[in-house]
Amino acid sequence: MSEYEERHDEELSLETIKELGQMEVPASAGEESQPFHCLTIIGQIEGHMVLPPRNKTTKYEHVIPQLVAIEQNPKIEGLLVVLNTVGGDIEAGLAIAEMLKTMNTPTVSLVLGGGHSIGAPIAVAADYSIISATATMTIHPIRLSGLVIGVPQTYEYLDKMQERVIRFIVKHSRVGTEALRDMMFRTGELVRDVGTVLVGDEAVKVGLMDEVGGVATALSRLSQLVSGEGKVQ
Amino acid sequence: MMLFTVIPLDDVLEGMEEAPVPTVVMSIGGVTLELEPGENFQAKVVRVISTDPSHYLNSSYQPGSIVHWT
Repeated sequence: MSEYEERHDEELSLETIKELGQMEVPASAGEESQPFHCLTIIGQIEGHMVLPPRNKTTKYEHVIPQLVAIEQNPKIEGLLVVLNTVGGDIEAGLAIAEMLKTMNTPTVSLVLGGGHSIGAPIAVAADYSIISATATMTIHPIRLSGLVIGVPQTYEYLDKMQERVIRFIVKHSRVGTEALRDMMFRTGELVRDVGTVLVGDEAVKVGLMDEVGGVATALSRLSQLVSGEGKVQ
Repeated sequence: MMLFTVIPLDDVLEGMEEAPVPTVVMSIGGVTLELEPGENFQAKVVRVISTDPSHYLNSSYQPGSIVHWT
């Protein structure tokens, strides 16, 4: 490699760090691509509205074709979904969750830091859901935003939206409707608000997540799913 | 649109009134991209416009990455 090429390479990797805060990991020799892909869902899940640049967002219109590509590629054996999200657009979040749920490619989700609000359905959508010991998940009701008219229809509509999220979580985890509703409307745990904060093993105890663990746990579970042993849910 | 988030709505929507940065749509390497033009023939990828799902896995076209057009 000439000196110029080296410098150019260095510049490129610096650029990657600067723009995305990510480092490009060099592919190991003799291996063209990894059998497992990793999808990170971070910050706000951006849906129908472009959020102001101050927000760190996961763009769902980009994630969905990625999932299609992963599903179609026979070289990709499994998908690890890493979540550290504060929530976001309901429709976009549910769209990603439904896509994950209906994929044939084995999926494992790993919640690090936080998987709040609409992050919860995405976390349970994977074939196997893992939460790190210190990660938290906030279960709370949907709040009103945008145009609100003080008529019963508004509340009925809100209730319907709420129901979609509850139904999805209940269907794809071990938690029951009543238990989930109870956590959602619990008072006294969140400051000036209703809801429940679940830390690490609490999320496993209530049946929302499957196991407390880290990246090694997630990858070994994914390998098990790929090899066909220990299919969960 | 409905947001389901633990972040207060005021914080999420802060700066919403500011005018959006103008973008251009351009085809680079056979892939149609929406770009935020910068200096020296550089542009930041806003999103990929394609029906080929593999384009979305291409690391050089991830939203936020810089592409060169000449």
